[in-house]
Amino acid sequence: MPSRRRTLLKVIILGDSGVGKTSLMNQYVNKKFSNQYKATIGADFLTKEVQFEDRLFTLQIWDTAGQERFQSLGVAFYRGADCCVLVYDVNSMKSFDNLNNWREEFLIQASPSDPENFPFVVIGNKIDVDGGNSRVVSEKKARAWCASKGNIPYFETSAKEGINVEEAFQCIAKNALKTGEEEEIYLPDTIDVATNSQPRSAGCEC
Amino acid sequence: MSSDSTTSSTSTDDPANGNPDPNPNHSIEDQLASTSLTDHGDQRTPSNQENRNGVDYASASEGSAGSDQREIENSVEQVPAEVAEEEVRRSSDAAGGLTEVEEELNKGGSGRRSVVWMRTNSEVEVDGPSSPSSSGYAGERGSSASSGGASGIDEVVEDEIQEARNDSVDAVLDSQASWVPGKRHVDEDDASISWRKRKKHFFILSHSGKPIYSRYGDEHKLAGFSATLQAIISFVENGGDRVKLVRAGKHQVVFLVKGPIYLVCISCTEEPFESLRGQLELIYGQMILILTKSVNRCFEKNPKFDMTPLLGGTDVVFSSLIHSFSWNPATFLHAYTCLPLAYAIRQAAGAVLQDVADSGVLFAILMCKHKVVSLVGAQKASLHPDDMLLLANFVMSSESFRTSESFSPICLPRYNPMAFLYAYVHYFDVDTYLMLLTTSSDAFYHLKDCRIRIEMVLLKSNVLSEIQRSLVDGGMRVEDLPIDLLPRSGTFPHLGQHRLPTDSPETFRELPVGVGGPAGLWHFIYRSIFLDQYVSSEFSAPISSPKQQKRLYRAYQKLYASMHDRGIGPHKTQFRRDENYVLLCWVTQDFELYAAFDPLADKALAIKTCNRVCQWVKDVENEIFLLGASPFSW
Repeated sequence: MPSRRRTLLKVIILGDSGVGKTSLMNQYVNKKFSNQYKATIGADFLTKEVQFEDRLFTLQIWDTAGQERFQSLGVAFYRGADCCVLVYDVNSMKSFDNLNNWREEFLIQASPSDPENFPFVVIGNKIDVDGGNSRVVSEKKARAWCASKGNIPYFETSAKEGINVEEAFQCIAKNALKTGEEEEIYLPDTIDVATNSQPRSAGCEC
Repeated sequence: MSSDSTTSSTSTDDPANGNPDPNPNHSIEDQLASTSLTDHGDQRTPSNQENRNGVDYASASEGSAGSDQREIENSVEQVPAEVAEEEVRRSSDAAGGLTEVEEELNKGGSGRRSVVWMRTNSEVEVDGPSSPSSSGYAGERGSSASSGGASGIDEVVEDEIQEARNDSVDAVLDSQASWVPGKRHVDEDDASISWRKRKKHFFILSHSGKPIYSRYGDEHKLAGFSATLQAIISFVENGGDRVKLVRAGKHQVVFLVKGPIYLVCISCTEEPFESLRGQLELIYGQMILILTKSVNRCFEKNPKFDMTPLLGGTDVVFSSLIHSFSWNPATFLHAYTCLPLAYAIRQAAGAVLQDVADSGVLFAILMCKHKVVSLVGAQKASLHPDDMLLLANFVMSSESFRTSESFSPICLPRYNPMAFLYAYVHYFDVDTYLMLLTTSSDAFYHLKDCRIRIEMVLLKSNVLSEIQRSLVDGGMRVEDLPIDLLPRSGTFPHLGQHRLPTDSPETFRELPVGVGGPAGLWHFIYRSIFLDQYVSSEFSAPISSPKQQKRLYRAYQKLYASMHDRGIGPHKTQFRRDENYVLLCWVTQDFELYAAFDPLADKALAIKTCNRVCQWVKDVENEIFLLGASPFSW
């Protein structure tokens, strides 16, 4: 409970296994890259403080496992997300095709109040591979999909080379912040002794 | 179950049992005589240890379904090599219980007891890579970006040694120095070894994993850790189950889910699970006191709701509550305590509060520090001791209440967790304050008038000066325990003598004044069940340092938990001896008595002394308890 007002933003990273979600996060948070692939188990959590328009806020990044066997974790993980990042590998058509599933799955599980306008960001990763020669998903195709889903911001990155990673996360932060702005109105009641019979047992209702 | 038909003497080494008791209705000896025993005693001896390990024993007796598990808390400094003796005798029979017969224990116990030794090496845990990050990347520990370059192993080891030293120094300082309000170690996060070594963590987080409060470290830097906790809780919840406790070596991780609010305690203090859970309940209650349960609605509408701004500036309220877990027995007794005062003085205070209550005030409470002077509730309104504790903590820990008369919305979680009341708070002097609770948000000026009226009466009838005098004189002292058992007129032997205040949490007595009471009595707590009040004796040598006092409270807390254990209890009596104390607990329909003696104290004499304490409390109950106008009667 700091006296200075800070905002915490929960960011979920989704996408097929092996597209580079963990690498992106590590490049962004730790400025590091490892060629060695290690599958994420369940989820990883990283924290990054970001300055944006004179305000300090904290990104709580949920790096989830791409494997299908972890999909049961859904509701628990997605609840209360401020932004969702969909990642695919520009060298894998399947990972791109699956973006739709990831997006829909997220909207079902997280059930945000305004699904139409929930902030997503799409990242096409691994643009460095083979000098771009093994690329199978064109930028045009990706942008078209993003446009059809309500103008989702799109970035092409290389977690390995650190290309565009900072920019992508800046955008993620900005979008997450945008929806976080609407303040929830907190209006507690006052006890009315005349009408309100006080509940005797003080246990929780949960 | 057959009744023990022998006379009161069941123990050969207990000469006191033959003594006549002038107060047969309230004596342990008497219970002895009419007791049927289903004792599953056990006696254990902790062996020498090189490490200061926690030792858990689990002993099961085949005679009853209940198994009996407890721990011996080894002293931090060293473990004495000599054999410590512990005797526990229990009776779950409603007819009454009794303790101790060494011989019986020894011969009866050995055959039907299995002792399980569990050892945990503290080194292992400290070094263990318990990073929340599962990515396998070296260097980062699932946490903030600040951890710079990859650090070599050598570096880490050196770091740990250094931190370990710092930590032990810190731990001593923490318990010895007077408590400083507010949050400490804000610079830490879950990557800091010092943070990981803290003995007791408390966390509040939302069901989306957003941190709300952490005892140590910066909440935002702990966002990753908080997310991990949420993932664990939600994962178990997804499976239609609920996680309550995780044991990992010496550490207990206790979870409490309150709708969209998750509370977690991670502790290696060896406190019982029930105690830690009770502490989480109080922390949740404190949060409700500040915000009411209507925060739940915010989460229903918007799961990503961030509560932290609503709790801005209340760090000190929570840290003060957490601190009170180690010095205020009200936190586990669920009772409140009164400032000792002459009956007439308390009556005078009560009368003027009653006047005010009749004019539309829901509760009028006059307190001195954490002790009640008097309190009055409007018709049918009753105040739970836990609410009092949380309210007093809120008022005392918030500095702004001291400097001006205040009007603040507060919620009494046990009274009505959904809605606010309004509290008018005014300090008469540095220690004494008045709280007037109302349902009307525009009653400030009315309450101010009430306060002026109350203040006039309090001054005229010398209540405020008597309060100061009582503060100086202190409460019951074990040294003053009457030796004869004749009923006394209800006054303190020391009343009128000049004594230093000793009971305040901030200022502990520096020099030993006595050597305790008769028969090696060091300290006692007496809780009146009907009144929801307790009285505890002043600390006396050798329980003089804050550290020793904290240890004694922990021992009481453990005793309380074991007496109230739903699985194997409730029990009537318990007598245990270890290297630190003899502890005696006696529970009847009317009261609970917890007493600590010299570890070498004679059992029979200790029991006799407990009877005297009960008699003494009865003799002076007019002064130590708030009687009569009890808004606590449900």
